[in-house]
Amino acid sequence: MMTSEKTSTTSAAEWPTLLGDNARRGGQAQVRFQSPANAAWQYRAASPVRSAPVFHGGLLYVASVNGMLHAIDVATGTSKWKFKAAGPVHSTPSLFENAILFGCDDGQVYAIDQNSGESLWEAASQGEVWSSPVVRNGSVFFGSADGSVYAVDGRHGQSKWSQQLGGRIYSTIYAEEHQLYVGCGDGKIYSLEAASGKILWSQATGNGIDSSPAVSDNLVLIGSEDFFVYGLDAINGEVRWKYETGLGIASSPAVSGDFAVIGSKDGFLYAFEVRTGNLRWKTAVGEVVTAPPVIGDGVVCIQAGGTFALDVSSGKIVWRAGLGGALQSVPVLAAGSIYVASLNGEVYALR
Amino acid sequence: MDRRTFVKVGCIGSASVLVQGLDPMLRAEGVAPALPAIDLHGLPDYKPSSLGMPGLFPGRVIEARDRNAIARNRVSQPLVRRMLERAMKELTGETSARDAWAKFIATTDVVGIKINPSGAPACCSSPEIIREIIASVQSLGVPARNIVVYDRYSYEIDIASYQALLPPGVRIVGIQDAFSGGGTGYEPTVYCDANFFGEWETRSHMAGVVAHEVTKIINVPTMKDHSAAGITGALKNLAYGTFNNVARTHRAPHSFTNPMIGLMCSVEPLRSKAVLHIMDGMRQVWHGGPLTQVQDFIDQTGMLLVATDPVAMDTIELEAIEKKRHERGVPSLWQHDPESITPDSRIFFHDASKNLFFRQPGHVAAAGKLGLGVSELKQIDHRLLSS
Repeated sequence: MMTSEKTSTTSAAEWPTLLGDNARRGGQAQVRFQSPANAAWQYRAASPVRSAPVFHGGLLYVASVNGMLHAIDVATGTSKWKFKAAGPVHSTPSLFENAILFGCDDGQVYAIDQNSGESLWEAASQGEVWSSPVVRNGSVFFGSADGSVYAVDGRHGQSKWSQQLGGRIYSTIYAEEHQLYVGCGDGKIYSLEAASGKILWSQATGNGIDSSPAVSDNLVLIGSEDFFVYGLDAINGEVRWKYETGLGIASSPAVSGDFAVIGSKDGFLYAFEVRTGNLRWKTAVGEVVTAPPVIGDGVVCIQAGGTFALDVSSGKIVWRAGLGGALQSVPVLAAGSIYVASLNGEVYALR
Repeated sequence: MDRRTFVKVGCIGSASVLVQGLDPMLRAEGVAPALPAIDLHGLPDYKPSSLGMPGLFPGRVIEARDRNAIARNRVSQPLVRRMLERAMKELTGETSARDAWAKFIATTDVVGIKINPSGAPACCSSPEIIREIIASVQSLGVPARNIVVYDRYSYEIDIASYQALLPPGVRIVGIQDAFSGGGTGYEPTVYCDANFFGEWETRSHMAGVVAHEVTKIINVPTMKDHSAAGITGALKNLAYGTFNNVARTHRAPHSFTNPMIGLMCSVEPLRSKAVLHIMDGMRQVWHGGPLTQVQDFIDQTGMLLVATDPVAMDTIELEAIEKKRHERGVPSLWQHDPESITPDSRIFFHDASKNLFFRQPGHVAAAGKLGLGVSELKQIDHRLLSS
């Protein structure tokens, strides 16, 4: 049974949620990730793709801004089915059991049957849902532009609780066994109790937060529009370290072992020691970086103006492709291919 | 027909107006192709408002400066709040900021805030300023759902993260994405029609949200040079961010931003609804605008301009950018030396002596001739508020 709840590793044939799994490792050490020789196929979504694809069972799921969810057969690059939501979609889908979940600008989170493309259930909020729904212990957690975090039952979409925070929520929640972590437009990072939504702690930064957190080594890692990357104590939210980049941060960290990588709007990709925040390397990859990076076997990959792969040790660019320009999309490294969705609505399988 | 304009000074509302030529002053910039006929269609039966451009205070521009309002490229919201309050009171003569805002906005209004996200993240309308404007509008009793922050391209709004940074309930609208024709967000009956360079689509339509949804517009331009228009300020932000299909007005090295910017601003209901202009001068781009990300060409100046008259405001901006370029030893915005033109945007973005177009800063004065405001510097009531 497919689930995005795994927190350690996923098999090379699965990519159920943003950055591969709930640990946001992005498939680290799972997939050989070498320079692609060619595009096996190209699929036209007929609308910009702002979010990242997910992959399971030979199907690549891609949500386009015009509200269409595409299930693409990766063997042929053709559509198996499409589902039309009632509004634009900016949310990265995630998978839970037989459902694919995604948020919509109409305020709903949709659960769609992976095989048929039929609607299973919907859960309502009062604002756009650009964040990606995250599943843990059978509960689906998501933040909304209405300023609330919601928990609903993963099988039926029934509400469990909601918690109002101080600003819009575009950050995707990081769910641990008992605690949730999320950034908010009010500039704070919050930790909530997963069972009740009770606020356990909050930590202010100097501006709003568009970035999504990752947790590693008991530290919450996240970027802020105040230009800083933060490492917060996951227990109490105290700032353990922070590192200043050149502009605001909408990108989100990908974690691999003792280091994390994140992009900044200053155009650089930064690699940090998780424990100390010490910079390992930084590399310019474009004028602006807003998407999260992903870590493969020996490389870090990022979509900015195009798609870049950097040596994980040095940050040196090892290859680049002039396709895959993106704001928040992340390459999927699965089943011997790299799947890239771009802002111009094209989806590519690179091999 | 000679080359004089017969655009009538006044509103362009229910009637269609055919522009068959230009004031010779408008054509004095470079050897451009002949200006074609321009057909303007405003919203039928729209009644112009006295609050419309040039608004309640023609020729008056309030400049608030505080060097500490931006530090290490970060804008201070508390200082912006203070600067904006002082400027609004100075503009209106009111003793309270709330009364000052109430001169323009009523509780029943649907308020559009026209941002400028192009050039993000290096230089765009600062979210800190937008948040203060929203707070001021809400203080009048306007509910968040009746505040619409908008611009043309949704992806540019996304790059600047406005969607995450503004208060819950406020609508954030990108009229179109960059990869479609953008037809659905535009009003078919309100348009400017002209064929400048033989383009296949000759109409530029007004955004539906402007034509039908909002009742007032607060315009929040940035201070930048512009490779085609000379500067991008209140007029250009309003015109080229509200109408679609505008890039066709320039084909290197020539540009018809003069007179199109002013003409578009004169079309109803845009002219009537744009009641207040708050220019974000926290950063000044003196070369590479509007899209540059090169920090060497962006000065952190900590300035706000407030006016109801976009022409007077842009005249002050033009002076400021021109002065900055002079200080840096680079050519005037008015220079039309063919030797300075390059077709290579990579050169343009890194060499302040080069440009892609013969710039058209005369579009500001041309808008003044359309009755949108005061362009004669000596006639502008320019008031300075220092920290």
